[in-house]
Amino acid sequence: MDLDYILGALPDLMKGLKMTLMVSALSISLSLVFGALGAALRTSSNALLRNLVVGYVEFVRGTPLLVQIFFVFFGLPSLGIRFSVFWSGVIALTVWATAFQIENARAGLASVAPGIRDASLALGLKRWQHAILVVLPIAARAALPPAMNTVVSTFKNSAYLQTIGLVELTFVAVDRIAYDFRAVEMFATICVIYLFCVFVLAGLAKLVEHRLDRPFAER
Amino acid sequence: MLLLEFRNFLLAGFVNTLLLSLVLTAGATLCAVLFTVALSTRSTVLTGFVYGLVECLRDVPLMVTVLLAYFVLPKAGISLNPFWSSALSISLWGGANGAHIIRAGLTAVPKGQREAADAFGLRGWRKLVLVVLPQAMPVIIPPYVGLVTGLVQASSLGAVIGVEEVFRAGQVIIEQTTLTRGGSPAYLVYGFLLVIYFVLCWLISLVGRRCEQYFTRHLTVADEASPLPRGTTQVVPA
Repeated sequence: MDLDYILGALPDLMKGLKMTLMVSALSISLSLVFGALGAALRTSSNALLRNLVVGYVEFVRGTPLLVQIFFVFFGLPSLGIRFSVFWSGVIALTVWATAFQIENARAGLASVAPGIRDASLALGLKRWQHAILVVLPIAARAALPPAMNTVVSTFKNSAYLQTIGLVELTFVAVDRIAYDFRAVEMFATICVIYLFCVFVLAGLAKLVEHRLDRPFAER
Repeated sequence: MLLLEFRNFLLAGFVNTLLLSLVLTAGATLCAVLFTVALSTRSTVLTGFVYGLVECLRDVPLMVTVLLAYFVLPKAGISLNPFWSSALSISLWGGANGAHIIRAGLTAVPKGQREAADAFGLRGWRKLVLVVLPQAMPVIIPPYVGLVTGLVQASSLGAVIGVEEVFRAGQVIIEQTTLTRGGSPAYLVYGFLLVIYFVLCWLISLVGRRCEQYFTRHLTVADEASPLPRGTTQVVPA
C-alpha cells in the first residue's frame, strides 16, 4: 500500500466520483418519476396499457444491464439514433431502474387495503383527493424500503458504464491501473469510496423511513 | 441473415454462457451455505469477519468486484484465466446475497417448530434437514430463483475481462462485420442477445415456480367433498 500514490490519485478519482454521482442522481430521479407513472399505468383500466407495462418490466428485469447499455450505446446508432456516452448511460440506467421502481411502487399500491377506498368515499373525498391525500401516503410508506434498495443498486450499477467509456469512478481507477499497475491501491480506494457512498445513501433511507413512521411509532 | 451465418459461433458462446452460469450457481450456493454456517457459529471473531465480508461484497458494485479479482489476484500470486476469475468473483457476490436469503428463510420458521423437533429427540442436522429446511424452502426459493437469474445476467460481465461467452461472441461478430462489410449490425446482434437472455431467465423462473409448488404441495389438497369441480385444488389457509 502506497499512501502517497493514493493521495496523488485522489483528485482524478474525485472527478470520476463526480461523474458517477451525476449519472446516478439523474437516473435515480428519472426512474423514481417514471416508476410512479408506470405503476399508475399498471393499475389503469386499459388492458393493453397494463400489459405493455407488465411486458416492459418483465423484459428489462430478465435481461442483463450490460447488454442493455451496449444496445443503447452501440445498437441504437446503427438505427440512426445517436446519444453521447453520458446520455446513453443515463438512458440505459433509467430504463433498467424504472422497471424495478414500477414493481416497488405497484407493491406499495397493493398494500393499501381495499376498505380504505370505501372510507374515503364515505368521508366525501373526491377521486383525486382520495389518491393524493389517502392512498399516496400509505403506499409511499410501504414502497420506501424496496425503492431505496433499487436506488442503491442504481448507484452501484453506474459502474457498468465504464464499459462504454464513461469517465466515472471505476473507469478512472482501471485507466490509472493501465498506466501505473497499482491495482491494489486503486481498488482499495474505490471500494472504500463506494462503501462510504452506499452507507450514506442507506443512512438517508433509514432517516426518511423513520420520519414517515413517526405517526405510527409506539409511545 | 447475419445471425444464421454465425450461428455456430454464437452457439459456442451460448454454451459457454450456460457453463459459466452453472458454475456460478453451484459456486454461489456453496458460498452461501458456507457463509450461513459461519454466521451461525459461536465464534465472534469468525462471525464478525464473515459478516463484514458479506456486507462488503453486497455493497461494492459487482463490476468492481469482477475487475478487482482480475487485476488484484495476480498480485497475490494467483493467476486465474478470465473464466475462473469471473466465476470466483461473481460466486462470492452471489454467495453474499444467497446467505441473506437463506438466513431470512431459516428465521422465518416459527420457534415452536424447533422446540417440537427437540421434543421429538431430533438433534443437529436431522432437526435442520427434517424439520426446519422443508419449512424454510417456500420462503427461500422465490428470492433464490431471482438470484439465479441475476447470476445468469451477471455472467455477461465476464465479457468485460475476456470470457468468450455469448455476449463477447456478439461483440466479435459486430467488430468483424463492421470491418469487413461496413455498416454496423449492432442493434440486430444486441437485440437478439437481449431476447436470448430473456428467454433463458424466463425458463429459469418457470423451473423455480415448479420447485416452489413442490415445497408448498402440503398447502394444496384435493378435497373430494368440496363444492369445487373435481380436479381443482383448494388452498388451505395456513
